[in-house]
Formats: sequence, structure tokens, C-alpha cells
Amino acid sequence: MLKALLPPVATLLVAGAAGAYFVSLEPASEAYDQALVDVGIALGERIRSTGAAVSFDLPGAAEQVLRTDKYDSIYYSVRRADGSALAGDPGLPPLPALQEPEDGVVRYDGEYLGQKIRVAALLVPCGGGTCTVQVAETTNKRRKLARNIVLSSLGPELLITLATLAIVWFGVKRGLAPLEDLSAEIRSRSARDLRPIDPAHAPEEARPLVGALNQLFGQVAESSGNQQRFLANAAHQLRTPLAGLQAHTEIALTQDVPEAHRAQLEQVHRATIRTARLANQLLALARAEPGGYRAATKPVNLRAVVEDAADEWVHRAMVKEIDLGFDLADARLSGDAMLLREALANLVHNALEYTPQGGHVTVTTGMRNAEAFLGGPRNDCAFLEVEDDGAGIPPAEREQVLERFYRVPGTAGTGSGLGLSIVREIAQVHGATISIHAGAHGRGCKVGLTFPHG
Amino acid sequence: MIDQVRILIVEDDAALASGIARILEGEGHAVDVMATGEHAVLGAKQEPFGLVILDIGLPGIDGFEVLRRLRASEDRVPVLVLTARDALDDRVHGLDLGADDYMAKPFAMPELAARVRALVRRSQAQTGPKIVHGPLILDTLARRAQLGAAPLDLAAREWAVLEVLLARVEKIVSKDAIIQAVASWGEELTPNAIEVYVSRLRAKLDPAGVKIRTVRGFGYMLEEYKERKAGQ
Repeated sequence: MLKALLPPVATLLVAGAAGAYFVSLEPASEAYDQALVDVGIALGERIRSTGAAVSFDLPGAAEQVLRTDKYDSIYYSVRRADGSALAGDPGLPPLPALQEPEDGVVRYDGEYLGQKIRVAALLVPCGGGTCTVQVAETTNKRRKLARNIVLSSLGPELLITLATLAIVWFGVKRGLAPLEDLSAEIRSRSARDLRPIDPAHAPEEARPLVGALNQLFGQVAESSGNQQRFLANAAHQLRTPLAGLQAHTEIALTQDVPEAHRAQLEQVHRATIRTARLANQLLALARAEPGGYRAATKPVNLRAVVEDAADEWVHRAMVKEIDLGFDLADARLSGDAMLLREALANLVHNALEYTPQGGHVTVTTGMRNAEAFLGGPRNDCAFLEVEDDGAGIPPAEREQVLERFYRVPGTAGTGSGLGLSIVREIAQVHGATISIHAGAHGRGCKVGLTFPHG
Repeated sequence: MIDQVRILIVEDDAALASGIARILEGEGHAVDVMATGEHAVLGAKQEPFGLVILDIGLPGIDGFEVLRRLRASEDRVPVLVLTARDALDDRVHGLDLGADDYMAKPFAMPELAARVRALVRRSQAQTGPKIVHGPLILDTLARRAQLGAAPLDLAAREWAVLEVLLARVEKIVSKDAIIQAVASWGEELTPNAIEVYVSRLRAKLDPAGVKIRTVRGFGYMLEEYKERKAGQ
């Protein structure tokens, strides 16, 4: 803003100074010119005409006085009507032919002895003709005057300009401050936060902007919401037919079927289970995404979430003969119990999936220091951790496994590659940091979520 | 073994309904299937069912409404709710309205069968003094226990722990929950003490195929009794 203002303001300053210069220079020059004319008149009175004879007499002392000036050299010349020199400095530039005399006086600029001069020429009647008296001076006085005028007008001009710029700057700054606040508020929002901005908090001038932003927020939230609702509905709709498919496959498997058919039925059964899990995961993703589901923020104890869901996991662990254990301390935070349960379920499911028979999986909850705040209050961040001693995730893959549908190359099992990305989405909703390390003794995998304080 | 009961399945998806029906018929129960909530409310009034398996997403009045009307008419029949909707919300809602258990679709048939057995067992235990779990019988009135044909000698604390586990077969019971259920008022019981009672119970029950599983760092779970294992 200031940058845009500077050139025009500077131009104004120059134009103002120039204007002042010309406006005050003219009357000042006029005064000097008049002094020249006065001298010319005095000289003209020294011309004596006797019949046609013309003479000029200037005492030496008078000429000395005439030529004395503090700053400039003074020249004069007196010519007869025929142009012949009568007295003075004969080489002064002649009158410009085109300039009409004004009250018998012609004023003009010229050059004499290599210096600029100002000349006043008087036409004086003499001996029946017209004699010419020229009085000239160099322009030192005038230049000095012009310099003084410029300097004395430039100071105030400069001050006014600076004051103007300062006023504009403060005014703009002050006027834009509410917009700064507005942008700070928008910047501090998470990508999921599509709530409209309260126009009451916005300045009068920014209300239309807030209105437009709110409209945009609304449209984004709605289209995102539509998409998520579609995903959620699709997942819901899939569940019932999948339940029927699973039911009949399982019934068929309990019956006496030929061995070849049994293998095929088992394939169908596995595919059904996988599809069902995928439907559940898509639903979880839909819930965790912006606009799809408004995460509740209520007091949650991760310990209670684990205790509530543990039954579901223990049966799976029993089937795979994995020792599923717990190390549970109170872990209180503000969040969405349903999403946190989903995150835990995905972590435990992964651990059970990639841990071989006879392995160990441990779920831990509690409070601890977030690493970044070691100096802060002690143990004020809730965390959860799922550790296994299975295949583990190579360090190079630990970032990528959080991406949707990414699976560690060469991995056995039937995962969709969605589990950890769901965990990441849910972590983001809660502002939690997700960490993936090797488990104890460098074996297996330890995935943890650490939640922000409060 | 538990008694056979008459079960009402309320499910509008014919394939799923017939699948569940076949499983439960295989367990010896008599099964009726209805596809709408209106029929279910009428049917439950006319016939004394031992258990209702109720889908939430029904055409017409939904499962919540069916449940509400059943409970409003003082019908205490055990209800197992099925839903394709979001797990936690529906569960809270369903259990608030008086559902006895809850399963999210899709589910494994053996698990459904186990839940049905648990519900039937529980409702029968509420009507009679005897708790039966495979070869194990606890007569809560006479305070006599029996394992197969032989009488089972249980100390008072062992009895109390076993009763807590029997009330929640196939569910993890935390050590804290056991302590709370077992300790008398003002008495301090340590988790170690619970471990001692459980290991004594194991010594007595394990040979008969009644298994108590330790869930590390959490508690214990009385596994569902599997007859074949007892014979092995």
C-alpha cells in the first residue's frame, strides 16, 4: 500500500516545489528588473541633445556607484539612434527584433563575456531620434534568489509530505487491523473446521468478506458432507447383505461338503470377512474426515475405552493364540470416544494380523510428558500404545504406511492398507501425534498416539 | 445344556434372516421370522418368545420403536439388537431402551450362537436358582456346587469369584471388578489375592474342561464351554 502511494506523493512534492518556485520567482525577478529599469532611466537623463547632436556624460564617481554590486557585474551601454555607441560597454547583445517595447522598455535575457545576463533596454528620445540605453547584470542574484525560494519552500513541502505518508500509513494499518485479526482466525483453524465466522466479531467493513467466506465454508462443508454421507450410507448398506453372505457361508462350512467345494467356500468366507472390514474402515474414514462427522469433544478416559472394547479383541487373539495383554492407567483427554475406539481397534487389529502365533501384543494407556514439552508440567499428556513382537515395519516404510491403501511390500495377510491411515485421520482430529517405532529389543512394532495437554 | 426356547427374528433382509434361523434351529431352538416392526410387536404380544433378535433398520417402525413398545408393555423378553449403523451410538441407544445385548453387522455365526446361548442362560438363571456351565452347576439357593456327577467343594471366596465369572461368560472381568464384587464392606483385597483364588479354581475346574483365561494386565474370562474339548 505504502509502496503504491510513494511515487504519486513524490511527484506531488516535486510539482508543488516547482509551482512554488515559479509562482514566487516572477515577482522577485520583476523587482530586480525594475531596479535595472530605474538605472536605465537615470542613465537616460544624462543624455544631452543639442540639435541633432547627442552627447552623454557620466561622472566617473557615478559610474563607479552604478557598477558596484555585491553579487553581480553591471554593464550598460548608450547608443545613438543609428546604433553607434555613445558610452558604456559596446558589446551588449542587441534588442531582440521581435519583442515589442513595453512603456518604452524591452527586457530580455542574453549572454555577455561568457556569462548569462539580464538586460533592460530603454528607448529614450534624443536629438529627433531614439537613443537606446541598455542596462545589464549577470544573474547571480537571481539564481541565489531562485535557490532560496526552492530551499525555503522545499522544507515545508517535505514535512507535509512525510506527515501525509505517516497519516496514510497509520490509517491503512488501523483500517486493515480487523482484517489481520480475521486472517489470523482463519489461519488458526484446522482444515476440518468449516464453521461459519461470527460476523459480530468482524469489523463493519469486512462483513461482506465474512459473508462471502461463510458462504464458501458452507458450500465446502456441504459438498464434503454429501460425499461423506454417501460413503457412510454405502458402507451401511453393504453391511446387511454382507451379514447374510457371511451367515450362509458359515452355515455351509458347518455342513458336510466335498473337500473341493469346502476350499472354495472358505475363499468366499475370507473374502466376505475382508469386504466387511473394508466397509467398516470406509465408514470410519468417512467419520474422521472434515464435514462427514462432527467429532464430539467430551471427557474421555482411554482406559475405559480399552476396557470396553477388549472383549472383541480377545477372541481374535485366542483364535490366533496370541497373548494379548494390557497395561492400563487412567488417560484422560477431551475427544470422541467412538473415533478413539476405532483408532484403537485398527491398531490392535493390525498388531494381531502381523504377529505370528505365540506372539505378544500389549495395549498401554496412561499419561506422560510429550517429548516436546519435557520442561513443562509432568505427565500431562494422555497416550495410548499398541506394541507387538511380530514382523514390524521397516524404518523406511514408517511414513508411507500412514497413507491410504499403502501396504508394506511383501506383506502377507489380507489388510486393505486403510487401518493406519484411519488411525492417522483420527489422530489429526484430536491433534495427537502418531509415532511408529520398533518394539522392545528391536522386534515388532510399537505404534503410539500422544494427545495434546488438556 | 440350556433349554431350547422359541426365538423371534425380526429382520427384513431375507437372506440374513434365513441364515440366522438355520443356525438357531441347528441349536435346537424353534424360530419365527418377521420382516416388519409392526408384525413383531403384534407377534410378541401373542406368543411368549424366549428371545427376540431385533434388527434396528426395519421398514416402517424401526427396531428402537419395536423395543420401546415391547418394554412399554412390560415385556421382559431378552432382546439381542442387530444393527448396520454406527456401533457406539446405536449401542447406547439400544441398551438405554432395554436391549440385553448388541451385535454390529456383519458378524460371525458362532459368535451370534454364543451370544444367544448366553442370553438364554442368563434369563433362565434369573428364573431359577441354578447356574449351569457345561458340567458345572452352581445351586445358588442351596449353595452347593457340582462338577459333572461329583460334588464340588468351593471356599466362600472361590464361590464368589466363580459366580462373578459365570455371570459374564466370554467377557473379560477386570480384577478390580472381581475385587469389588467379592470384598465385603471395608475390607482390603489385593489383586494378588484374586490371583490365588483363580488359580485354586483352575485347579478344580480345568480337568473338567471349564477354562478360566487370564487376560494379561486386565483380568479373567470364563471361556465358553466346548463339549468336544471335554472329551479330548
